[in-house]
Amino acid sequence: MTRRYELDDDSVVVVIGSGAGGGTVSNELAQRGIDVVCLEAGNRLSLSDVVNDSAAMDRKMGWHDKRLGAPVWLCKTVGGTTMRWSGVTPRFRDFEFRPRSTYGELGDTSLIDWPLTLEELLPYYDKAEGKMGISGTHGTPPSFETSNFKVLRAGGQRIGYRQITSERSAINSVARDGRPACQQIGFCWAGCAVGAKWSTLYTEIPKAERTDHFELRTGAMALKIEHDANGKVRSVVYADANGAVQEQKARAVCVAGNVVETTRLLHNSRSSLFPEGLGNGSGHLGRNYMRHVMSLTLAIMPGPVNFHRGTRQSGIILDEQRHDDSRGFAGGYIIETAADQPYGIAAMIGGWGREAADFMDQYTHIAGCWITGEDPPQAHNRITFHATERDAYGLPVPVLEYTDHSNSTAMRQHAVRQSESLYESLGAKRLESRPDVGGGCHNMGVARMSDRPADGVTNRWGRLHDIPNLFVSDGSLFPSSAAPNPTLTIVALAIRQAEHIAETMARREL
Amino acid sequence: MNHNRMTRRRFVVSVIALSGAAGSAMAPGLFESSLAWAASPGRIDEDVRRAMVRMARLLYPHDALPDQVYADVLDQALSDVAAGPDFARQLEEANAALAKVSAGAWQELDAAGQAEAMRAVETEPYFAAIRNQVQAGIYNGSAFWKQVGYPGPSKDFGGYLHRGAGEIDWLPEDL
Repeated sequence: MTRRYELDDDSVVVVIGSGAGGGTVSNELAQRGIDVVCLEAGNRLSLSDVVNDSAAMDRKMGWHDKRLGAPVWLCKTVGGTTMRWSGVTPRFRDFEFRPRSTYGELGDTSLIDWPLTLEELLPYYDKAEGKMGISGTHGTPPSFETSNFKVLRAGGQRIGYRQITSERSAINSVARDGRPACQQIGFCWAGCAVGAKWSTLYTEIPKAERTDHFELRTGAMALKIEHDANGKVRSVVYADANGAVQEQKARAVCVAGNVVETTRLLHNSRSSLFPEGLGNGSGHLGRNYMRHVMSLTLAIMPGPVNFHRGTRQSGIILDEQRHDDSRGFAGGYIIETAADQPYGIAAMIGGWGREAADFMDQYTHIAGCWITGEDPPQAHNRITFHATERDAYGLPVPVLEYTDHSNSTAMRQHAVRQSESLYESLGAKRLESRPDVGGGCHNMGVARMSDRPADGVTNRWGRLHDIPNLFVSDGSLFPSSAAPNPTLTIVALAIRQAEHIAETMARREL
Repeated sequence: MNHNRMTRRRFVVSVIALSGAAGSAMAPGLFESSLAWAASPGRIDEDVRRAMVRMARLLYPHDALPDQVYADVLDQALSDVAAGPDFARQLEEANAALAKVSAGAWQELDAAGQAEAMRAVETEPYFAAIRNQVQAGIYNGSAFWKQVGYPGPSKDFGGYLHRGAGEIDWLPEDL
């Protein structure tokens, strides 16, 4: 069924990573008859490997190679973080593609506008939503209303919110595309046991395989991208599942390893022609690393909520996804339901003693929400590499430097006040808010798109400014984070990029 | 196990301050030692063990849970081939430190006094290690789940779609 390509076949596009970006660009290219070799560092799980045990699943699919500095929460498995994500898929709004123009100069940031507009991305949002089965789009109903969502909606209405919806989830609200409807199992973070949640593991990857234009190599860790004397990429060096070093020739390469690995691979591929790393003529590679403003609010409600009965993120409030200076900060945020198993809740709340235990005794009465908000790019938030420390692949250990901007602090304070008053309006008996819970699950920036080569790493198609056949296909492309969870936009950009690659190949420009 | 719990903690809890808390009102429980414990890679004296079971309860005092639940959590961590010996040393360090701040009489203090002594050492690495183990053991444990009404994994019974998902009966209707 699946095609096998020779290492010296230089007609293939090599895609590095099989998650939201890599899995999508692979399938979109293969559907257009373009031969693709996808290198995935992790293993290939099947649905029968998925158990309702977050720690056990983290051992199976988490990325545990050594990293220093700000923690990130990523996956090393076929499907990447689409195995772990919660499936929340709001679109960016128009102003979020023009943050620099909308917010003006924001001190201590490297804010730029996107080199594309909402209008330009709309057709690809639509295609992405059709592909992923986003609830409330393409004729599918909204998602099932969990009790946690009903609390969020009731409280939201009481404090004046109007844009409250259980639409916009990439978890099937009805059986669709050969996958069942959500059964409200409640362990989305541990991987969906029935495949109702969109993951490239059981959508894009097998669809690509059925085209006969695609080969997936698992346990294949990309180490270096090689180029010719003219600066055109010609091959990818990788360690195979047995640890042997291989070199796959390539017509073009798409890098989608999530921000840390994407930065490391481009950095590690530096040469006499590109002494600071591939695509780093501007000095922006690894910089402008963004991870969203987040905070969590949990509330003990007057009656049972039982938020373990269902998806952990089952509805959103979009009223704060706007720019309004009177709130004291630039950009917007989205309020989303949040739920977790008892241990997850205890760990997030922290502390010890009678107060902590009393909170946990009321587990069935907890309602919860968290926010994801725009995190302005800062040049000094960046991914660098340890001077001497090497990991098991012999690669330099990544170091993540990240500090909050004052805009983020102000936004978080506003979000906590709103979240708490939402639950207070319904008679919450106790509130616990925690800043920064979840930091490191949304990762953006580091290879951002820009009109001017001096402002970024990649152009409006995600192609490196200074290398004609090397692309970035993951969230590293984002010039700004906007408020929404990033996956929908990653998928839309990947579809658009694949279309562009196919067109330029047809014109023999690539 | 220990490593993975710690890993999970690191990413779940990025920036969380310890919150102060009052101690348990329960009297220290008497305790029978078990053979399973005696064979563990991590070994501690019976007196240390008794104190640490008490500390485990004061970390997460659930009155409905018997001492045996807390003891099992410690024994489970001590039985880990790789991490057990380290955990034994951490328990001994905690025991010695609590004795030191209590003039050698920590186990004789009332619950409030015992918790106060714990607060005096709560920033020590061994304290965090023990707290993390007890937190994971208690809240990933079936005894707590049963007591609080959380059924655990739901995949095998087909999820909650037809088992109470969306049910809520107390929300106001005047919205």
